[in-house]
Amino acid sequence: MSADENLRQRLSSVGRRVRQWLRVQFSPVPLLGWFLAALVAVILEMLVGTPLARLLGMSKFPVLFGFALALAQPVYIPSAIVYVLLIYVLPVALVARLSIRLGNLLAGWLMRTSPLLSVVVHLGLLYGTLHLWAGLSDYRVLVVRLMLIAIMLTLSLNVVNGYMGEFSCSHPGFMALGAYAASLFSVLFFVGNDAFGAPLLPIGLGPFLFPLGLILGGAVAALGALLVAIPSFRTRGDYLAIISLAFMFIIKSLFENLEFLGGARGLSGQPDWASLPVVFAWTILCVWTINNFVRSTVGKALNAVRDGELAADAMTVDTRRTKMVAFFFAAFWAGVAGGLFAHVLRYVNPGTFDLKKLAEVLAMVYLGGLNSVVGSIVGAVSYNLLSEALRPLELYKWIIIPLLFIMVMIFRPTGLIAFREFDVVKLLHPREGTPGHAGPGAVEPQAER
Amino acid sequence: MAFFMQQVVNALQRGSFYALIALGYSMVYGVLMLFNFAHGDVFMVGAYIGFFVSSGLLALSAVGFLSLPTGVTLALVLVLTLIISMLLNSVVGMLVERIGYRPLRGAPRASAAITGLMIGIILETSNLALLGAQRRSFPDLIPGETIHVLGVNITPKKIVIVAVSLLLMFGLHLFVRRTKWGMAMRAMAYDYVVVPLMGVSINTIALLTFGLGSALAAAAGILYGVAYPVLDPYMGVLFGWKAFVAAIVGGRGSVLGAGLAGFLLGFIEIFVAAFLPSTMRDLIAFSIILVILTFRPHGFFGEPYSAQLRL
Amino acid sequence: MTLLRVDDMTHWFGGLQAVSGYNVAIEPGQIRGLIGPNGAGKTTVFNLITGRYRPTEGHIFLDGQEITGLPPHKIASMGLGRTFQNLRLWRHMTVLEHVKMARYSKITYGLAGAFFGTARRNREEDDIETRARELLELVGAVDWADHIVTNLPYGMQRRVELARALAIQPKILFLDEPTAGMNPEELVQMMEIVRLVHEQLGLAIFLIEHRMKVVMDLCEVIQTLVFGQVIAEGTPDEIRNDPRVIEAYLGKEVMA
Repeated sequence: MSADENLRQRLSSVGRRVRQWLRVQFSPVPLLGWFLAALVAVILEMLVGTPLARLLGMSKFPVLFGFALALAQPVYIPSAIVYVLLIYVLPVALVARLSIRLGNLLAGWLMRTSPLLSVVVHLGLLYGTLHLWAGLSDYRVLVVRLMLIAIMLTLSLNVVNGYMGEFSCSHPGFMALGAYAASLFSVLFFVGNDAFGAPLLPIGLGPFLFPLGLILGGAVAALGALLVAIPSFRTRGDYLAIISLAFMFIIKSLFENLEFLGGARGLSGQPDWASLPVVFAWTILCVWTINNFVRSTVGKALNAVRDGELAADAMTVDTRRTKMVAFFFAAFWAGVAGGLFAHVLRYVNPGTFDLKKLAEVLAMVYLGGLNSVVGSIVGAVSYNLLSEALRPLELYKWIIIPLLFIMVMIFRPTGLIAFREFDVVKLLHPREGTPGHAGPGAVEPQAER
Repeated sequence: MAFFMQQVVNALQRGSFYALIALGYSMVYGVLMLFNFAHGDVFMVGAYIGFFVSSGLLALSAVGFLSLPTGVTLALVLVLTLIISMLLNSVVGMLVERIGYRPLRGAPRASAAITGLMIGIILETSNLALLGAQRRSFPDLIPGETIHVLGVNITPKKIVIVAVSLLLMFGLHLFVRRTKWGMAMRAMAYDYVVVPLMGVSINTIALLTFGLGSALAAAAGILYGVAYPVLDPYMGVLFGWKAFVAAIVGGRGSVLGAGLAGFLLGFIEIFVAAFLPSTMRDLIAFSIILVILTFRPHGFFGEPYSAQLRL
Repeated sequence: MTLLRVDDMTHWFGGLQAVSGYNVAIEPGQIRGLIGPNGAGKTTVFNLITGRYRPTEGHIFLDGQEITGLPPHKIASMGLGRTFQNLRLWRHMTVLEHVKMARYSKITYGLAGAFFGTARRNREEDDIETRARELLELVGAVDWADHIVTNLPYGMQRRVELARALAIQPKILFLDEPTAGMNPEELVQMMEIVRLVHEQLGLAIFLIEHRMKVVMDLCEVIQTLVFGQVIAEGTPDEIRNDPRVIEAYLGKEVMA
């Protein structure tokens, strides 16, 4: 045995032991414990973030875990690492580890009292953490809101491309329909501009009626989906891919030609109603309904249609209806996401919904993993974080991200977390007494494709 | 009438590019059942290769490497540029296959398609990184006076472009119909399983398919450069996707179909732009395509495939 | 009253007559067999009755209602369950999900239930699950309930397919070579299960089989199909001794 090989073996055994130790230490931490720990870290950053950053020689605290800073000015790499360790890693690990007993007690009590209460408390904690963390800089607020919208888009596309196993390219088109419809709603009724004249309703009502605008956006997108679905779902195969692509071009071109919506210049003046809590709430609603759907027998019919349409048909599944429903549902959520998107940027133009957007959404879906709600969340979050973190590299970002993506595809062709079921209630259960139970995340891994 | 004929001539030229690119998509799709979303950018790379090769050759002749009459020199440069660039670009296409697609042979086809998309982005960005943002202008290889025939303006460029495209398409048609390799490709389009039985490996056929398609894309790139002498790294994106749609309208794996659909797209675009505001071009072109696909789901010459296709 | 009646069903594939003048009448609770050499059109008969193809001519009645030309899922939900000659299972789904899926047409919670996870949906899903487990118990596959179906041994996959077909609550069950590719031990087990299912659920069974032993043991009435035409119909004994059947199967050891 060569010395080199010997060393490698020793290293891998060390690695194994470290992993083992981590598992023993942290596997009993319930989700609640992690959320609490994250909250503590964020509060810590609020209190001492800026002074600590100054102490470490940085002009202000690193906004995105120091990635951007480290890439832009490599001198700050050590400072950024120390900052992330002191503010995030150590406090989270410490609090999570120390709160095991308390966290499990609390999680158990919540669960026994009412699973619904448990969900509400967890969501509250998650939102609180997100709110405080993002509250430290406008940039973070923007990134988080766009990330949440990306989750909605990715998840809804996964319903078609993953759960249903077809290949749809029309998501930017649905998004555009939703964005314009919701913008039109806001501008026409509450803001007014040169084309539409004075607003029809007092702006004070706006924030309360905004959900209606978003639903309208989703409905318009679903209506557009009809145009794709009717010719597409008569036969199988790659038909949908081409029709939906043509549809995307048609929609983009349509908005370029609609002068009353600003044509190629776009439409602006959307009020700032898509605040963080609003976007968060819609994202949760989206994840919740989609997860409900794909876990029901009605939704699982999509998998049956994908894996064997003949058998599905013979087992009483109305395959055409199943596909249509899923497609409209996906389009609806893409439309809602588009409406939110337009109100986050407070500007919308046809050029946004082009091939680049398509490549982005597709990349997030296939990166995260097909047929998996967790996968889509992971895909959207990691893609957005990566994209923001690599921003200082400018041009080279668009070499590195595609390369990373290709690597993932080669080693995990169905994506990072594919074919998993997302059982929320199971996730919220206390962990004590179940050592070795894998950390948070999806349960019950299923066979690889 | 003259106006109409003028548009026909313009449409033939534009259709040539679409047809040549569509052929590359169509072959890969027909033979390997893959969407090669990198193909538009391979076209762009081909145009740049053509730019460098032709500029190099012109520089050589300028320093007196060749002392021939100008017209002959330019013709020679054009032919050499076409041959060299097509060869080089076919290597690019084969690399794309080898690096991006072969490792994913067993993966869902959609994963391969997205990988192709990513390779396309890498090609665009690398170009931008290596050559900078300034646009390159393609040397004028086919100068010549405009000829007026019955009130229609025809430049030698247009004649050469259309002629070369038709020639290449005919060549490809012969290759696919008459040679052993072409037979193997068609066999593979028919049934994945039989090809290894014929003593040809799937990988060889895949390389061949990508190589041929990329060579045609290079030709399209050079002809495009001759016609619209401005190159930029993103020129392949929209052009490529449109050609992709044309390939599907032509029918899976049909050389004739892809060629015809390419020309059809050219005609639609030119005629829409001639009679309506040019912003309506894409709207109408794609609406027509949507209608065609609604009534002919498998394109002009495609046959319905019963095999379970999984993405 | 006749449960399933087919009158003069004829089907052409292009210029080829695959089935001609086919008739059958199956009574409730009856087990009936359909035999014939390869390519005789047995599976085509199944596909025509179950709605996958629309017959060129003829009429099909299930429980007195005409079902000719209805889509397969409608016909299935009216009480016609089937299995496939080559297993058609869904490769990413668990055994339990397979059986639950066949309850699709009986689900009443609708889209609202599917999207919002209403109490009614939870109740109904629980009911379906209980029923699915019962059926898996019946065919002896309940231990595999939570496994992905592709991880099961072949014989077990066949049982899952059977349980799935039973979950639609069929009045009549079409079995397309349920013992194809099985070893002798699995074959015996499968026959037991078919018998058990028949006794417990009291449904009619229409069976395509290649192995004569299976058909002769199980069926009350057997039809022999050759080149799309029924050449003989009768009890196992009659079929066994019918010279036309022997001729069609000439040299086949299975007639012993």
